[in-house]
Amino acid sequence: MSVAEKFRSISPAEFFYRNKEIAGFANPARALYQSVRELVENALDATDAHGIFPDIAISIERDQNKAYVYRITVKDNGIGIPENYIPDAFGRVLFSSKYVLRQTRGLFGLGAKMVVLYGQITVGEPAEIVSATINSKKIYKYKIMIDIKENKPIVLERSWWQNKTGWHGTMVKVAVEGDWSKARQKILEYIKRTAIVSPYANIVFRSPDGEIKIYQRVANILPPPPREAKPHPHGVDLEMLKAMISETKAQTLIEFLSDEFQGVGRVLAERFISTYGFDPNINPKNLSKDDLEKLVRALKEFSEFRKPRADHLSPIGSELIKIGLNTILKPEFTDAITRKPVVYEGHSMVVEVGIAYGGAIEPLEEPMLLRFANKIPLLYDEKSDVAWKVVSENIDWSYYDIVFPAPIAILVHVCGTKIPYKGVGKESIAEVPVLEHEIEEGVRHVARSLKLYLAKKQKEEEMARKAITLIKYIPEIARALTVFAKANPEPIQAEVLESKLFDLVKNRFGDSLKNISSPRDVVLSLE
Amino acid sequence: MSEEHVKKFMSSVDIKARIRAAEKFSEVFNNVVKAVLNGEEPKLIIPKRTLSNTIYDKERGLLLLGPATFERSFLDVKEARKFMQTLLMAKIIYDALINNEYPTIRDLFYRGKHSIRYRDHKGRIEEENTWDEQKESDAVLRDIEVLVNLLREEMLILSKEKGKVVGDMRIRSGDDVIDLSKMGHGAYAIEPTPDLIEFIDVNAEFVLVVEKDAVFQQLHRAGFWRKYKAILVTSAGQPDRATRRFVRRLNEELKLPIYILTDADPYGWYIYSVFRIGSITLSYESERLATPKAKFLGVSMTDIFGDKNKKPYLSEAERRNFIIKAKKTDIKRAQELLNYEWFKTEKWTKEINIFLQKQSKLEIEALTGKGLHFLMDTYIPTKIQTQDFIE
Repeated sequence: MSVAEKFRSISPAEFFYRNKEIAGFANPARALYQSVRELVENALDATDAHGIFPDIAISIERDQNKAYVYRITVKDNGIGIPENYIPDAFGRVLFSSKYVLRQTRGLFGLGAKMVVLYGQITVGEPAEIVSATINSKKIYKYKIMIDIKENKPIVLERSWWQNKTGWHGTMVKVAVEGDWSKARQKILEYIKRTAIVSPYANIVFRSPDGEIKIYQRVANILPPPPREAKPHPHGVDLEMLKAMISETKAQTLIEFLSDEFQGVGRVLAERFISTYGFDPNINPKNLSKDDLEKLVRALKEFSEFRKPRADHLSPIGSELIKIGLNTILKPEFTDAITRKPVVYEGHSMVVEVGIAYGGAIEPLEEPMLLRFANKIPLLYDEKSDVAWKVVSENIDWSYYDIVFPAPIAILVHVCGTKIPYKGVGKESIAEVPVLEHEIEEGVRHVARSLKLYLAKKQKEEEMARKAITLIKYIPEIARALTVFAKANPEPIQAEVLESKLFDLVKNRFGDSLKNISSPRDVVLSLE
Repeated sequence: MSEEHVKKFMSSVDIKARIRAAEKFSEVFNNVVKAVLNGEEPKLIIPKRTLSNTIYDKERGLLLLGPATFERSFLDVKEARKFMQTLLMAKIIYDALINNEYPTIRDLFYRGKHSIRYRDHKGRIEEENTWDEQKESDAVLRDIEVLVNLLREEMLILSKEKGKVVGDMRIRSGDDVIDLSKMGHGAYAIEPTPDLIEFIDVNAEFVLVVEKDAVFQQLHRAGFWRKYKAILVTSAGQPDRATRRFVRRLNEELKLPIYILTDADPYGWYIYSVFRIGSITLSYESERLATPKAKFLGVSMTDIFGDKNKKPYLSEAERRNFIIKAKKTDIKRAQELLNYEWFKTEKWTKEINIFLQKQSKLEIEALTGKGLHFLMDTYIPTKIQTQDFIE
């Protein structure tokens, strides 16, 4: 039985309640982390994906009376949720019926609903939602629970007030069972890494212990918002095909193919149909189960469709990656690259790689790896990730003049409408050859640039070292020379000789002496 | 010291020497000042003091400095420290000349030694000494000697007096006349600036230089120099520059033959060769310090072992008592000597080969052990009369 089939036999809410570890709610620590994550990702999706510079406030409060109970509040300045949709958005667990594809952060299409459900099961308080859409005259507040058996929202309270300040956005407050002391490390790391890839956001975090982390906006550009794209024939399975057919307005197979897919035009649709002997004029809703299975196989097999497009994806961009790495890690060197899109099972993917070196980065025995999938930090299962294989096995760092322990961080971002995760936890990416190749090429690119930087730095240091080898003797030499300069008609001051000698050194070593304007900057008094 | 004091208490000879040396320094180093003021790379062109730039002048029998030079530039990272040291040393010597001082090489070392504190290219604060050991300041001094073409004695730099002399001879040292025949049981210590000595008169037929101070004293007190009309000199081991220069002047200016008496071992032979030809490290001064006509009187291997034309001076039993077994270092040194151009003569090759074969050495004291009068009245006179020496 597939997940989807199972899904139909019981309430979706009940299904997820029974399988909460799949959604990342296996224990109180992991659940607290996962709750924060779902709400933050929703907040970011509501802002940067719509061209809004995010202002996000996250807080976790400890319940005064009950142990292991925390109230998570996440507030954003996003597009808000239309008032009539608020109960369903938070109170009905659904598989998304839309078959358009869009790169979003949310992993399961469940987001906040799972948090609400988990909170309700473990603590039993309703979730509190405050939201206003852009230009809304009112701000709405709901208190919602979920009817698990029936899978529908229970609205416990609904109120509204005038939106006098023109605010828009959403605030969600949920009480959940958690374990802050065990989750603390991961949550802080998650927020920090989120800040790295969204330097255009203001992020404020208040922990249960009252510590406050502020990540200020340092970039005034946003990545291009992800856009919706039609599915590519190579990426369609039977379930999806059925869903598409049930929603299409197309009356014939040929219309359905040329209207609802990307990479397929009228001409290609005709050629495809004649190649596989389908009836072009059959209403797709009338296709038999056998026909549908045959169609899925043929769609995957036919090689003449145009390649999947990637312009609907939202890579972070090398500029923002560099800004993020610079701001958060405070290294001495950064570089980043956005690779050209590649295709995996009918979905396009873009790999981005960043590198940060030196500065405030601690030297470690292996590279610090910062993994992201669709801008979400991946913190667990690092060693089973393809990116780990690349940085630890495929790359010989000594070739890039890196000797461990070294202060080096590698950022790998994979974005796409379908990420080949390994396992149900969706915390690591599988060793798909095309992806491995992309990551490796990306890492090699930034590593080469680091190598060049280090070589240049070493050369400059060597020049500076040489220049200082000379400069440090200038006062001594000048003093000796004044003794012999006495015979000249006018007495010559040691300072004159010092500056003349310094000029000679400057002429020879020029650029490496940026910070030195006189020998006295190098030679210090012994007192 | 004020000018007045200088005039009152110092010898006029010294004052002249000072002025000459100071002028030479001004000339050479003013060029460096000019280069710096003109924005040109300041550099010193210094003759090389290396074995490869040491030439054995067969005709004159001297070790001489060759024509090769090297550049010591301030802008050369490898030479910058030495450049600084050279100028520092020049300044100290010049100051001493001007201020009527007589520094020793140890004084020069201390006067110039101080710390330079600086910030390195990584911003760390470091300290470095102008020089750490006297070896460094001594090397720079030698560079200055060849650079300004003055020996240290001419710069009024003193060294410990080591050599001694007695004999029927009068000299002027400073402003005093000294009678070398009236030194009592003592002897005249050869001053570090022997060029400033004036020879007044002499009544002698040859000069005997003995390596060992103890043997010198025995011969002196036994009246050797009076009896045989000799000037008696000791270098007390490796000869210093003053003793060598003094001996050279005795030979060159007074035409006295020079006989050298050392232990019968490679070190003794090398002492002889330093007197005669000069040393490798100091080849630049050989022209003034070496005595190419000096003769090696003994003790030679044939004196000990005899050969087909010569009866040994020692009996079988005496040999057994006096001979010392050669050490490994002696053997090694002897083999090195065989490679030196100036030891590649028939007599020296024979001498060294006997040593290598017998692996035995002998000190001069062994001959006095046979009786002081044997040394004084038999060995030395016989050797000179029969011309039994090596050149």
